[in-house]
Amino acid sequence: MSRDLSVMMLSWEFPPRIIGGISPHVHYLSKSLAKSGVKVYVVTCDFPGAPQHEVVDGVEVFRIDSYKNPSPDFATWVYLMNVNMQKEAAALINGLGGDVDVIHAHDWLVATAAIGLKHVFRKPLFATIHSTETGRRNGIHFDYERMIHETEAWLTYEAWKVICCSDYMISHVQWAFGLPSDKLVMVPNGVNYEAYSKYRTEDLSQFRSKFALPEEKIVLFVGRLVYEKGVHVLVNAAPKVLDKINAKFIIVGNGYMKDQLSGLAKGMGLTHKVLFTGFIEDETLRRLQTCADVSVVPSLFEPFGIVAVEAMAAKSPVVVSDTGGLSEIVEHDVSGVKVYVSNPDSLAWGITRVLTDNSYANWLRTNAYKKIQEKYDWDKIAQQTETIYNNVLNEYSKSFWAQTTT
Amino acid sequence: MRFSRSESLMRVIMLSWEYPPRIVGQMANYVKKLAAQLVKNKVEVYVITYHDFLTGGHDDSDGVKTIRVTNPVHTHIGVLTWVLTLNQEVERVSANVYYGVSKQVDLMDVHDWHFIPAAVTLKRGMDIPFTYSIESLEEHRSHGANSPFNMAIKSIEWLGMFEAKRLIVKSEWMRDEVIRLYKVPAEKITIIAPDSAGWLLDVLGTYRNVAQSGGSI
Repeated sequence: MSRDLSVMMLSWEFPPRIIGGISPHVHYLSKSLAKSGVKVYVVTCDFPGAPQHEVVDGVEVFRIDSYKNPSPDFATWVYLMNVNMQKEAAALINGLGGDVDVIHAHDWLVATAAIGLKHVFRKPLFATIHSTETGRRNGIHFDYERMIHETEAWLTYEAWKVICCSDYMISHVQWAFGLPSDKLVMVPNGVNYEAYSKYRTEDLSQFRSKFALPEEKIVLFVGRLVYEKGVHVLVNAAPKVLDKINAKFIIVGNGYMKDQLSGLAKGMGLTHKVLFTGFIEDETLRRLQTCADVSVVPSLFEPFGIVAVEAMAAKSPVVVSDTGGLSEIVEHDVSGVKVYVSNPDSLAWGITRVLTDNSYANWLRTNAYKKIQEKYDWDKIAQQTETIYNNVLNEYSKSFWAQTTT
Repeated sequence: MRFSRSESLMRVIMLSWEYPPRIVGQMANYVKKLAAQLVKNKVEVYVITYHDFLTGGHDDSDGVKTIRVTNPVHTHIGVLTWVLTLNQEVERVSANVYYGVSKQVDLMDVHDWHFIPAAVTLKRGMDIPFTYSIESLEEHRSHGANSPFNMAIKSIEWLGMFEAKRLIVKSEWMRDEVIRLYKVPAEKITIIAPDSAGWLLDVLGTYRNVAQSGGSI
C-alpha cells in the first residue's frame, strides 16, 4: 500500500468517558497503532468538558452527540445513539474522500453504526467482542436480552474478522454465535505497565499507612462488587488467612453487593480487617496496587481479567481463581497462584502461601512482570492488530467491492 | 435490465416502510401510485421497503424496481428498536443500488420517519440529497403523548426535517403543523395535494430542483 493504513474505530467510550474496560482498551490500542504510523480516527460518545474534536496521542478523536433525551431503556438509547454516531462517521469518511481502509467496532454498543458504514463505504469491518450478553447474564432469559444477543450475532456475522482477547473468549464467542473458527482471532488485552514504574521509586510508607497498619500485610481486591467477581469468597477466606498471618483486606470498587458484603464482614467480626474504599481514581489505585502484598482475583466468571494483568504490571503477586481468561494469564507457581473457583479454603491457602514466603512472592513478581512485557505490551498488540488488518485488506483487494468503490 | 442514463431523466430511490403487498395504512398505495407514474415519466425508480419474507430485488410490471429487506434481528422490545436495526439493511441495499449504477443516484424520497436514519447517513456519506414526504406526524399519531418513546420518534422526524433538502406535505394544514411543531421555515415546505391536477408535475419539478442542487446543505 502506497500510503499509510487508516482505521476508523467506533467505541461508545473513550477517555475521559470511562465506563468499563473498552475505554482504556481503545485508547491504548489506538495510541500504539498511531505510534507505528497508522492513521486512527476514533468516533465516540461526547462527555462534559471534552472537545468535539481533538488529537490525543496522535489519534484523531471525534465526539458525537450521544442522544440526551430521556430514553425508554438502555438498549433503545444505544440504537438511537448509533444513529448520531453513524451520520457523523459517514460525513467524516466522505470528507476524507472515502480514505478509510477499515472500520473497527468494539462490542454491540456500536453494532448498527458499524454495519451500516461497512455497506455504505464498502470497507472491511472488524469487531472486537469484549463480552457477550449471554455471558453477562449467564444465559438469555428475556426478549430484551435476546435482542442484544441477536445484535451481537449480527455484528459478528457482518465482521470480516472477530477479535477476542483470550482463548476462553474465542471458544465462548464461537459457541454463542456459531461462528466458523477461521473467522476468530485472539489478540490479548494489553496493559500500560510503564505507568506503574514511577510508583516503585516513590516512598509509599505514608500512603500505605492510610490503608493499613505497618505490621499488616495488604490483601487487595479491585473490581465491581457484583456476584460474578466472587468478593464474598474472599471475605469468607479472610478468617482462615488471619489464623496464619496479620493482614488487611482492602476492597476497591462499587456494586450492588456492597451493602451485603460489608454486612457479611461485620457479621463475621471483621470490620477492623476489611476495608471498603468504594471507587478510587487511577493514581491512588496504582499506588495501592504497588503497595499490595498480594492481589486477589476470586472471579466466578471472567472473560479476560485485566485486573490480574494490572497487578502483575505493578509487581504485586497475584492469586486468581482458575477460570476463564485468568487461567491463561497466570501460570501456576510461575507467574502467580491459581486456586479453585468459589472455594474459600483454596483461596485462603493461596493467599497465605504468598504472604508467608517472601522469596516465593518475589519469584512470582519477577516472572509475572517478564510475562507482562512479553505478552501484554500494547505496542506488540497493535502490531498483531495491524497484521490482521493487512491480511484482510489483501483478501479485500481481490474482492469485487474493492473495484466498485474506486 | 438496467436503464442507461440517456434513456432516463432522473434516478430516484424511494424509502417507505410500507409498500404493496404489505399495506399498513394509506401510504403504501400512495407510494405505489407515485412510483408507477414517475416511471411513465422516464424516472428510474427504486423502491426500498420492508417485508418479512418477500426479500430481494424485483422489477414490477409497472416498471418500478422494488427491493425488500427484512430485519436480521428477530427479537425486539418495540417498534423503535425494530426500525433502528432495519435501517442498516435499508442502507445496505441502497448502497448496492448506488454502486450498481456507478454512483449516479439523483435523489432519495423518504416517506415518513422510519427510514430517516438511513437517508441521513446516505446523504452524508454519498452526497445524495433527499426529500422528506410527510404523511403523518408522531404528535398527531400519539395524541400529544410525550413519553421517551414518542420523544425518540419526534427527534427522528426533526432530524429528517433538518437534513432534508425539501419537505413535501399534502395539505396546508400539515404545512402549518410542521411549522408549529418543528419551527421549519415555510419556504422549505412544498404542498402537493395528491388529488390536484398538477400533482405529478409538481412532484417532478420538486425532484428536479432538489437533484440539481446536490447533496450538501
